[in-house]
Amino acid sequence: MAESIEEAAHRIAAAGPSPARVARDPVNMPAIRDWLAAIGDTNPVYERKGLAPPAMIQVWTMPGLLGFRDPADPLGAMSAVLDEAGFTSVVATDCAQTYHRYLREGETVAVTGRLTDVIGPKRTALGEGWFFTTESTWVVGDEPVAGMRFRILKFRPGTARPAGPVSPPIRPVIGQDSAFFWDGVSAGELRIQRCGDCGALRHPPGPACPRCGALKPEYAVASGSGRIHSYVVHHHPPLPGRRSPVVVALVDLDEGVRMVGEVLGVRPDEVRIGDEVRALFADGLPVWRPAGQVVLPPFSLEVTPTVVVSTALATRDFQDVHHDRDAAVRRGSKDIFLNILTTTGLVQRYVTDWAGPGAVLSGIAIRLGAPCYPYDTLTFTGTASGGAVTVSGRTAGGEHVSGTVRVAS
Amino acid sequence: MIAGAAAIAGIGATEFSKDSGRSELRLAVEAVRAALDDAGLQPSDVDGLVTFTMDDNAETAVAREIGAGELTFLSRIGYGGGAACAVVQQAVLAVATGVARTVVCYRALNERSGRRFGQATMAPGLDASWHYPMGLATPAAMVAMVARRYMHDYGATTEDFGRVTVAARRYAATNPAAWFFGRPITLDDHQASRWIAEPLRLLDCCQESDGAVAVVVTSASRARDLRRPPVVIAAAAQGSGPDQFTMTSYYRDDMGALPEMGVVGRQLWSQSGLTPGDVRAAVLYDHFTPYVLLQLEELGFCGRGEAGHLIASDRLPINPNGGQLGEAYIHGMNGIAEAVRQIRGTAANQIAGDGPVLVTAGTGVPTSGLILSAA
Repeated sequence: MAESIEEAAHRIAAAGPSPARVARDPVNMPAIRDWLAAIGDTNPVYERKGLAPPAMIQVWTMPGLLGFRDPADPLGAMSAVLDEAGFTSVVATDCAQTYHRYLREGETVAVTGRLTDVIGPKRTALGEGWFFTTESTWVVGDEPVAGMRFRILKFRPGTARPAGPVSPPIRPVIGQDSAFFWDGVSAGELRIQRCGDCGALRHPPGPACPRCGALKPEYAVASGSGRIHSYVVHHHPPLPGRRSPVVVALVDLDEGVRMVGEVLGVRPDEVRIGDEVRALFADGLPVWRPAGQVVLPPFSLEVTPTVVVSTALATRDFQDVHHDRDAAVRRGSKDIFLNILTTTGLVQRYVTDWAGPGAVLSGIAIRLGAPCYPYDTLTFTGTASGGAVTVSGRTAGGEHVSGTVRVAS
Repeated sequence: MIAGAAAIAGIGATEFSKDSGRSELRLAVEAVRAALDDAGLQPSDVDGLVTFTMDDNAETAVAREIGAGELTFLSRIGYGGGAACAVVQQAVLAVATGVARTVVCYRALNERSGRRFGQATMAPGLDASWHYPMGLATPAAMVAMVARRYMHDYGATTEDFGRVTVAARRYAATNPAAWFFGRPITLDDHQASRWIAEPLRLLDCCQESDGAVAVVVTSASRARDLRRPPVVIAAAAQGSGPDQFTMTSYYRDDMGALPEMGVVGRQLWSQSGLTPGDVRAAVLYDHFTPYVLLQLEELGFCGRGEAGHLIASDRLPINPNGGQLGEAYIHGMNGIAEAVRQIRGTAANQIAGDGPVLVTAGTGVPTSGLILSAA
């Protein structure tokens, strides 16, 4: 009997790191210029100092248009096994890059990779498929310069679940006793019920004062400052209109009442009881952000077919789904779509545009969601706290990318 | 007086599954008939029916299907699984006051193959609007908020929660009626299970089940003349705490607690004249593991923050049927049936001794409890 997918995965993983594969070309300024132009990155530091943008790391070791699959490359080997089993379509889902230093013009990198895990078969929105993860290390000589965890979904074309109705987010039910609160949200005020007789503050509100019994509810406007009293990180099942994980906190407002709200702009593992938070409003709800967090100005990119194709070529990604519409449709996509190397590059650009040309990035970790097609408007938003910038890129189709960028200096 | 006025004369259940393949009404009928058979009574003897407001089977429909005649007592209790022991308390009140003579309490649900409670769908009512739209939309997440604070206040760990499941699955492994019969787990299995709502993992959450359970309540004196040795209801209590919400009582000063279960516990001990040290086994509602710890503290089995040590010590047998984590999730009613078997001496995992058994109902909501004892 033929080798099963699990057996092949075990064999490839057990083989360990592949022999180093040397880049076809050294780090060179023409490729950097094309990449900067396609991404729209005007940061002058690369040309001035002869450095490569960090998000280009994968570009240098791409196989190229006529590239063949190196049988020792675990990504290629695992892809071949899944192709053979009928899981011929591919999307990248996660990419976490770490940069030890920026590459310099003239350097030649080599890459080794190993397969770390294979999970499947899974029912996904795209179809039945297998997820697998590889870890790559780039070296110059003996010096490691960058690393990457890369997760891919290989799926069987034509097995997508019929798109069910997209469930809208849960909306509050508003009644006579709570309307003042939601009117406040619309007005950009966080309102706390205050008894018109005894002045007691209370949340959640109600028609009567539990302290003095008065039926005279009024309200005060909260300062919007508080501390986390407790919190949860929701993972499963999916929440309508949200993408897990979702951090939801119970906040002790400075005024002395508690309120539940989502905490935005934090990594779930960073939240702590006692953290100071500030209220703001999003999608008609009060939400919270860590106090002291900086909100980045949004950036919108009109994604033309030229953007999709030029960035694909500038990242040396010649997969047909990024430049050939007919081929993309044949493979089950509605059109060509941005490749993950470009999304990583756009995230880098968004953060360095804000942080300034002197910023040095030590890592970009992203997760891909909704594909980004020509004629989409891709809007990036972000928040910075300490050395971490949390970034989200959305199109009308949903969240295309979410991730974290580490700024070393 | 509640103590000793009434007894459970019969218990009945369907099989516990993930897909019963039958209507909830049919499950209810099967369980009620089995409970009446167990008691040696006829459908025509039934004059009272009690269930949960969440049960979709009308008392009238159950009465029609089993062929009962006239009913003099029909009642329902709200607040989800918090109703489990309160429906029995309703029956006791009816029997003790002469309003009814033979009351059957039932709960039938296709919770796994039908409507699943763990999904994120908006609950009715204004209270839900302070939580569901904000992303706090599942029972697991609502419990997780309390669990996180409890961990912070008392240094409890996810391993403390995990030991509840390990114990439950150990019992379930030797209970042929349990879904997880023959499938024990280790603490490592618990720690390796995926997050559902941090700090709760998959194996902190009870299973989802299809099935039905019914119990027959009659006066203690009449129960003595029936087929089975009577299981006396030594105490039956319901409780709601100050500033009580349904699953989201977050606005009390001390939110890492279940004061409503304290309300139930004080009544149980005072009605029965018993103390926690007298209890042979406790059947504690275990939809989520942290609330098993909090219940032990509220009921006085240990001090605040000490339940993790009590669980680890294995001193008190808890949920010898495997609980809802291991046997089945029948909204707490299967726990009452287990307590009856323990008193009768017919349980799959019989706990030695002749002491009373305590049972509790759903937590995080207005809840209820029972103490059952031999005649």
